[in-house]
Amino acid sequence: MTAATSPVDRTHLHRNGTALLGMMMFMASWAMLFSALFFAYFLVRQKALQWPPEDLPTLPVMLPGLATALLALSSAALQRGLNRIRGGLTGAAMNVGGATILGAAFLICQVVLWQQLVGAGLVPASGTYASIFYTFTVFHALHVLIGVGALMVLTVSAARGRFKAESHIPLRLWTLYWHMVGVIWGLMFVTLFLL
Amino acid sequence: MMLDKLLGLFQMPHDASVHGWRIDSLIQITNTFILIMFGVVVAWIAISMLFHGRKHKAEYDTGDGRKQMIKAACLSVLIFGVVDGNLFASGMADLNDVFWDFDRAEASPNVVRVQVNAHQWAWDFRQAGADGAFNTADDIVSLNELRVPVGAPVVFQIGATDVLHSLSFPNMRVKQDAVPGTITRLWFQAKETGAFDIACAQHCGTHHYKMRGKLFVMPMAEYRDWATEASKLGQRGNDPEDHGAMWGWNWEKARP
Amino acid sequence: MDLQPIHPPPTSFLRRYVFSTDHKVIARQFLWAGLFLLAFGGILAMLIRWQWAFPGQKVPVLGQIVLSRSDGKLTPASYNAVFTMHGLIMIFWAITPILIGSFGNLIIPLQIGARDMAFPTLNMLSFWVFIVSTIVLVMSFFVQLGSASAGWTTYPPLATQVGTPGHGQTMVVAALFLVGVATIMGAINYVTTVIRFRAPGMTYMRMPLAVWGLWLTSILNILFVPVLGAAGLLLILDRVFGTQFFISGAAAVRGGGDPILFQHLFWIFGHPEVYILILPAWGIVADLVSFFGRKPAYWYKGSVYAMCAVTILSAVVYGHHMFTTGMNPMLGKAFMILTLLISAPAELLFLNWLHTIWKGSLRLTTPMLFTLGVVFVFALGGLTGLYLATISTDLYLHDTMFVVGHFHLTMAAASFLASFAGIHFWFPKLFGRRMNETLGKIHFWLSISLITIVFCGQLAVGYAGAPRRMWDPHQYPFLANLAWLNQWTSYFAFALGAAQLIFVVNFVRNAIARPNAEPNPWQVGTLEWTLSSPPPVHNFDVIPTVVRGPHVLSHPEVQRTLGRDWISQTEDLPGGSV
Ligand code: HEA
Ligand code: HEA
Ligand code: CUA
Ligand SMILES: [Cu+2]
Repeated sequence: MTAATSPVDRTHLHRNGTALLGMMMFMASWAMLFSALFFAYFLVRQKALQWPPEDLPTLPVMLPGLATALLALSSAALQRGLNRIRGGLTGAAMNVGGATILGAAFLICQVVLWQQLVGAGLVPASGTYASIFYTFTVFHALHVLIGVGALMVLTVSAARGRFKAESHIPLRLWTLYWHMVGVIWGLMFVTLFLL
Repeated sequence: MMLDKLLGLFQMPHDASVHGWRIDSLIQITNTFILIMFGVVVAWIAISMLFHGRKHKAEYDTGDGRKQMIKAACLSVLIFGVVDGNLFASGMADLNDVFWDFDRAEASPNVVRVQVNAHQWAWDFRQAGADGAFNTADDIVSLNELRVPVGAPVVFQIGATDVLHSLSFPNMRVKQDAVPGTITRLWFQAKETGAFDIACAQHCGTHHYKMRGKLFVMPMAEYRDWATEASKLGQRGNDPEDHGAMWGWNWEKARP
Repeated sequence: MDLQPIHPPPTSFLRRYVFSTDHKVIARQFLWAGLFLLAFGGILAMLIRWQWAFPGQKVPVLGQIVLSRSDGKLTPASYNAVFTMHGLIMIFWAITPILIGSFGNLIIPLQIGARDMAFPTLNMLSFWVFIVSTIVLVMSFFVQLGSASAGWTTYPPLATQVGTPGHGQTMVVAALFLVGVATIMGAINYVTTVIRFRAPGMTYMRMPLAVWGLWLTSILNILFVPVLGAAGLLLILDRVFGTQFFISGAAAVRGGGDPILFQHLFWIFGHPEVYILILPAWGIVADLVSFFGRKPAYWYKGSVYAMCAVTILSAVVYGHHMFTTGMNPMLGKAFMILTLLISAPAELLFLNWLHTIWKGSLRLTTPMLFTLGVVFVFALGGLTGLYLATISTDLYLHDTMFVVGHFHLTMAAASFLASFAGIHFWFPKLFGRRMNETLGKIHFWLSISLITIVFCGQLAVGYAGAPRRMWDPHQYPFLANLAWLNQWTSYFAFALGAAQLIFVVNFVRNAIARPNAEPNPWQVGTLEWTLSSPPPVHNFDVIPTVVRGPHVLSHPEVQRTLGRDWISQTEDLPGGSV
């Protein structure tokens, strides 16, 4: 970051720092929410007679694996966009837009996954295994949905050149959010589909 | 004395168990401790209000001199050590020696075993009949009424069908939640005969207040006679078609 | 160079009074809302006490209005809804908005020398989400089968469709989720504001202890309210979408879930929550004993450390609510020792407060009386926690009225009285006036004596073994002899309720009258008292520079130089060393 000299810059920097701190608090809070969900997962699983229950359809790995890759790429693209803006380079809108599309693609994967599983007879009421699966994926997908919505707006802003090397705080905060959503998905992928 | 009268409001129900005195005496000890501490606090406030009022000149004292800090810290650690240390030690001993020592209770030769099924809003009790095994035709099953002998450990395995309940014996000083899907344990040993209340101590819906039971503690010989008779009755009244009646479970398997 | 530019005050009515982003306006909004809901919760408390005194008999006056369908009587089902909603409203919709929503908003910026919160818009949203949650909450009374009735702890399976069908329970859990969101929004604001917007010279160790209390509370809010959110979310899913997290027993599919899981989640939140409610009160007490004892707060840093220790410990003791669930014995014992450990910092705090008033020059104004009242009732309340922390005595006392007595003395007495202390103390900054001292003192003496009697009455019947949440406890033969005790407790409780009318009169009359208070009626040195009463929209014309701690009272040098016993946190003392 450049050294700020004028009072206006100081105010501005201070405000950015404040926003960033607020975002950290929010993320800490939401991390606790998800931790509680994982805690629920571990307790329920420990108590279950069988995991996964034999009479229920098994969860696929390929499709969610693909989704995981898409979300990871999306995170990377967004970070790249942010880096570009920070470095004063152009073309960030492409990155942000790409991230949006990848995020949307992730959602499509999830919808397909749910359709397949419901078709195969795994519904939320089929016991705790299904409860955990749907709660995790749907609740997470809602976060992705919000993220995709925000990224769409950010794409437009970026395309209009709203973000500068020294003023791009919305992009920065949403990038953090997006990474967090990605990391949580990574953990969910491991617990739900691999373990 | 006024204070005596007021403290006299604090009465526990009659203690009918062999080990209840442990809880009662620990409560007494705690009473003493907290009355002393509360007394100090009240006296301190009262003296300050009376003697250190507007007319008194305030003494400038930030309380962070080395000595003062050490004094305050030591004092609170001391109070903590004496009071909480005592409670902790006694509490641990109570649990280890009695209330959570199920192995010893079960090892007793004349132990009585009871399975409990709590449901809205009644207690089902089940004792093994003459064959000594649970969930067989000769079980002694009763609703809301439980008969146990005096002087023998009574061990419970508790389950529930619908919501949480809590099996509470105020006169024995113990209680244990009944959790659907889990089997929990409880034991006590009565020291005298008589009829006592069984309460549900966990909010379980509209008629929670009505979920009462009765505990009859009988002399050993009388209990034996009753149990033999009741087992026979149970055998005779058993309807093999009624699967719901066999809500019991294997005792040993449910032991952790 | 100014990090917090002054914005022109808004001109439209809506922006000024309704959707205002001014922290002082939001503080007043939270206060009014909280007091209304306190009155609501108080009326429910009166119904509870009626039921304990005269089970199943027609409720006079109120019965005709709210219970007309059941002939003016409380049915067992409606009684369950009454105590459930009493507990929830008092905790989340009354004490929280007053102690945290209102005081937090008012004093954090004023006492640390900021012009507003870090995120004013978020602050406004926080209040309006709170209002939405209140609307959902109140609506739940009007749906079929009535409001929530599974207890404030909403333990499943009772709180699932198995035990409480109907939309009321679902709506209340949803309202709880919303009020949680509002709380987190506020908390993020408070924590950030304290970290980022302290005036120059306002180091952490120069903050008033009230700010410390609110700050630590907010950290707990940020970290643990979401856990309640998760629990509520899973419960709603169980109720609405047929998931199986907490269903077990007969209604379960494939073995079902685990009802105890909910208790874990609830108390991981719930225990910090009780300290969330007491930490601001502790902070207020610690400041006010100093201000009105005209002495510095004894071992200020010790109090700060003690409050921090409690904050940290509060996260690891929650299992003491579950001693009788059949938890692993090792775990149970660990929770016992950790719980007992929390009384060590509490004792230090007490010693510090008591040392502060010792050899002081006490001004027994209304706020000071309420403060001393808090010390008195909290001593009793905290000490009764010891019986519950020890597992073996808790085996007898768990889920009896003794527990109810314990937590009423801690929150319904200590946090409740601390709210009055704060309202009286900061009234000049809230409404630009002082409340009437005579009425205030009458209200105090009635409240403190009646509260002590009522809640000791709860303790006594609990000691005798009376289970809580009983529609008619006297049907138990072993409790039948307690009827007179319960009746007397109730008479005193009705008197307590009536005594609150004094406060209502005193509060409303002064809140709507013309401001006339001096800037610093209590003669103390914290920053809010350097401003006019009420302060201007932007608080500080110039952001002050702080040169000393908040409690420099009766310092000999100050007295010699300035001829008064207090000095502001910003004042220069010529040639002075403080
Ligand atoms: C503001 C709220 C508040 C506070 C501060 C506390 C404080 C404490 N609580 Fe309480 N508690 C509740 C609110 C609160 N509690 C609620 C709401 C419930 C029940 C919920 C429900 O089931 O519905 C509950 C239930 C509860 C239980 C579960 C009981 C049961 O269900 O069986 C336990 C068990 O350990 C417990 C313990 C404690 C302890 C050890 C403290 C300690 O923090 C207390 C520390 C304080 C002291 C120890 C006193 C201070 C020291 C002195 C006065 C000594 C000074 C002396 C001299 C200077 C000489 N509480
Ligand atoms: C902070 C929280 C709080 C507060 C303040 C109170 C206050 C009171 N409570 Fe309550 N209570 C709980 C929290 C609280 N309670 C909880 C959590 C439960 C457990 C619920 C459960 O089991 O699920 C409970 C349960 C409970 C029970 C047990 C019910 C049972 O288990 O069967 C009883 C019985 O005596 C009771 C009584 C009272 C009384 C007499 C008051 C009195 O102090 C009330 C006096 C106050 C007023 C009358 C209000 C006055 C109004 C104002 C000052 C506002 C002024 C307004 C304007 C200016 C607009 N409460
Ligand atoms: Cu069963 Cu209460
Ligand atoms: Cu607790």
